[in-house]
Formats: sequence, structure tokens, C-alpha cells
Amino acid sequence: MSSAAETKSELPGQQEKGERFAWTFPLALLLPATVLMLVLYAWPFVASIYRSFLTTEEGLTLANYQKAYELYFRDVLFTLEVAILSTAIAAVLSIAISTYVRLANNRISRYVGFLYRLPIFIPFVVVGQMMRTFLAPHGLLNVFLAQVGLVDLNAPLQLFNIYGLVLSFVWKQAPFMTLIILGGFQMIDDAYIEAARSVGANIYHIIVKVLVPMSRATIAVAVILAFTSTVGTFTLPFMLIGGKVPTTVTVDIAHRVTYFGDYGVANALGTLSYLMVLVTAIYYLRYSVRKGIYEA
Amino acid sequence: MTTMTPKRLLLKSLEAVFLVFLFFLIFGPMVGLVLWSVAIRWFWPNALPQEVGLDYWSQALGFQKSLAIGAVSITEAFQTSMIIAVLVVVLTMVIAIPAGYALAKYAVPFRGAILFLFLMPLAFPQQPVFVNLLLTFTRMGLTSTIQGVVLIHLMVSLVFAVWISSAAFKSIPPELEEAARSVGASKMRAFVQITLPLAAPGLLASAVFVFLTSLDEFTGTFFIGLPFISTLPMLLYASSGSNLQFASVIAIVLLIPSILFMVIIERFLRGEHIAGVG
Repeated sequence: MSSAAETKSELPGQQEKGERFAWTFPLALLLPATVLMLVLYAWPFVASIYRSFLTTEEGLTLANYQKAYELYFRDVLFTLEVAILSTAIAAVLSIAISTYVRLANNRISRYVGFLYRLPIFIPFVVVGQMMRTFLAPHGLLNVFLAQVGLVDLNAPLQLFNIYGLVLSFVWKQAPFMTLIILGGFQMIDDAYIEAARSVGANIYHIIVKVLVPMSRATIAVAVILAFTSTVGTFTLPFMLIGGKVPTTVTVDIAHRVTYFGDYGVANALGTLSYLMVLVTAIYYLRYSVRKGIYEA
Repeated sequence: MTTMTPKRLLLKSLEAVFLVFLFFLIFGPMVGLVLWSVAIRWFWPNALPQEVGLDYWSQALGFQKSLAIGAVSITEAFQTSMIIAVLVVVLTMVIAIPAGYALAKYAVPFRGAILFLFLMPLAFPQQPVFVNLLLTFTRMGLTSTIQGVVLIHLMVSLVFAVWISSAAFKSIPPELEEAARSVGASKMRAFVQITLPLAAPGLLASAVFVFLTSLDEFTGTFFIGLPFISTLPMLLYASSGSNLQFASVIAIVLLIPSILFMVIIERFLRGEHIAGVG
């Protein structure tokens, strides 16, 4: 942010012209993208907060929050439960996969290092459809578990609820988190791992004392991005549990808008979802802006 | 040959269990999708479909007319999706390439603020933004139009496109462009003949990624595009309640490019730039 001051020149003539060009040119290159983001992102973002305090009768009040609290408090908690639970499980799973790929240097681990990535770009709408068939009362998972003798098909596992939702989020987020965390693990020099091994460390110790502490910042970024994306995802809960109670805040927002045209309460819920990720968002933004965007 | 100690045997077994579990976890849901897309008759408690065939595929792809209730042809939604995706790729790249170049190569004033603006969509839920754009777009008559959906997809993809293009430019040593300039090439010529070709693979990856983002976008299209603009994800949602087979076919149609892209893009992959896809 200080570069504006640095490039400003007091010199007259040619030099000044060159210097001024030196910072108006990159700004001109950035102008279309910045204007678009201001109009299509920043403005509606601010508007969503402003409108959450707006009611048609009384002007600025907390009425929308009052109503959101009365109608959807359970769903706010549900959203947090789903996001915390699935991020935690996905974090453990992705650290396990990353450790395996990092330490076991054989053909199978190389296959794993490739295959785990397959879900990364599969969109939520496809994950939703997949899980609807996979987790259904007579879907593939229940049928499989029944074949193994773990489930009675007359009383199958009911999974169109928090369990199925968490499983689906883990399926989608863990590979993405593994991509980031494994990147961090691979930056760690073999020498540290060898040193730990030579003093008798087992796998658990290597994970807890070497791999995880040395990639703390990377793991934090993976956790934050997965958490934020889980809180804000509409598609998957919408397809998997829809309007059932409890459901996520994102489904409630859509419900408020499409059935009632009630933007006040929808925006109050939206602002609440900003608050849910506020701490992680601040950490992420500070980290990324300070560090630049190019190093993982 | 050394014999396995009990401890080593235990570790090896745990490893095997972990791998089998992982395998089922990754592929189980995908297998279900494929089975449903070819299941003509599948009643529980059969573990596998009783009758399989490509009937639903040929109906969905428009090779065969079907009068069955709930039968859909995906050709129209496919065309809509393609038109939107191509427009989005062109517009996004035209805007993102200069921006990415500026961020990679210049000390831009207000750099922190601009980075902040471009990172915010990754740090906060986007749905409330779509909801409030719906209000504005309604006033401007942009809802349920191709233009409206293109604008939404443009906003969603722009962030990724700027970051990936910027990383592509950043990876090119500035000395190369300087060398060209020192032998008399203009700024523009150095850019077009040196920097652009070197950055091309990264920019191409960025463009393909934008294409995929637009093809898969759901939430924004749901608020801005419905009821008249039906892209593949919208059609998938619409048929998922009533017709599992068609929904599964569409899901696979969307799944294939995602996996192909994953395999091809490996080299350019940086987790942070792709958060929250779909």
C-alpha cells in the first residue's frame, strides 16, 4: 500500500512524465477488473449488510435479526456444527493422506498421491447428486453395508441429515485440503524427518512433532478455506436435505428470498454467515495480503 | 529377507485398511452414479441393477425420442451452458490478463486494497452477494437472461482467473523482457513476443478453469438465471427429484470434464486459488 508514495516523484519534466506513467499504466490495466469487482461484488456485499438492518415500515432496526433469531436460531447452530465437524474430520483425514504420500515412497503411495485429487474439481451439484444416490435408504452405501452384514435393510441408515451432509463435505473438502497440506509437507526437508527417525520417533511423533508444526500456516489456510466454503455452500445442503428441519443457513436464505421475497431476513442470515467466518476470514486476508499471493 | 516383526505387521495391516477405506470413500459415490445412469430396472434389495442399458443415455443425448414421463433431453441445456461458458471465458480472460500482469510485474498503488478486494470472495460466503445482485438485476431487467448469468459467472471466475494469470506472469523472469527491450523492442513487442508466449500454458490453464467454473456454477445461476435460463447444473437439479437416471447422466456429463481437467492441470495447481469451486 506504500508504493503509491514511493513512486511519486518531485522531479520536473521528462522524468516526472515517465514516473507518472509508471504507476498510471498498471492502474489502467487493473481498472476493468477492479471496477467489475467493486460493482458486482463489493457493492452487493456492503448492501447485504446494510439491508439486513432495513425494514419497510421502520427504517433501520434490528427487527430482521429478531425474526432470524426466532425462526432460524437452530439452523445457525446446525450450520456451525456441520462446518466445524466436517472441517475437523477433513483436516484429520487430509493430514493422514498427506503423511502417507510424503513418507511412504512406493508405487501405491504414488497412486494415492494422484487418485486423492479426483474429487477436487467435481462441482457441488454433482457431489449432491452422487450422494443422493449413494446415501439413500436403499442406496449403494446401505446395500453394501447390508451385504457385509452391518446394516439391516429394513432399518437402513438414514443419512439425509447432518451425518450425510458432513460425509459429503468431507468427500469434497478433504482432497482439496490434502492438496494444500501435502504441498506444505513436501517443502519440509528430508533431513528433519531422518533426524527424528534416528532418535527413535515413530510415525505419530513425526506427524505431531515435525510435519504438522512445520506446516502450521499451510494447514491453517487449508482449514480456513474449507471452513469458509462449507459455511457458504448452498448447493450441497439444498440437494441433500433441502427444507427439512434443521437445515443450513444458506438453504434458509434461498427459502426467504424465493418463497417470501423477504430480503431483510435473508440478509440478516447472510450477515450472520459473514460473522461465522469473520475470524478465519480476517486471518486469511491478513496472511494473504501480507505474504503476497504467489507462495502457497 | 527379513521376517516381519509383530509391530511392523500391525503397521502394514493398518496401512492396508487405510488404503481400502480411502479407495471406497473416493470411488463409492462415483460408482453409484455410473450404475444409476445405466440402470433400467433397479429395485431393492438387489445390490446391483436387474437390467442395464444405455437407454437413458441415448434419450438424454437426444439420439432417441422418449415419451416417458420425466424424460429430458440435455441438448438444449448443453447449448445454453456452452454459449454462456464461451462468453464468460472470453470476457474474463480479456479482463483478467491485464490485471494479472499488472499485479505480477508492477508496484501498483493501493496494492493491498486491490489484493484485499480480489481475495474477499474466497474469504466470505458469496450467496448473500447473489441475493442482493438479484434485487439490482431485477430492476435492470437482467434476471432470467443470458447477459445476467454471464455477468454472475464473470464475477465468480474473475478472482481465480486473475490469480492464476498473475502467477503465470510472475513465474517468468523479468530479465527476458528486459533483454528484449535492451535490443530495441518496444514494451508492447516485448510483451507480445516474449512474455505472452512464455505465460501461455498458465493462461490456457486459467481459461480452461474459467470454462469449468462457468459450466459448473450453480448458486448464482439459481438466483439470477431461473426460471428461463436452464444450464446443465439447473437441469440436473430439476431432474434429480423425479428422475434419478437422467440426473445421473447429466452428473456424469459434468463430472468427466472436471476429472479430465484435474489430470491435465496438475502442473499449475495451487490449492489456494481454487477454493470453493462449484
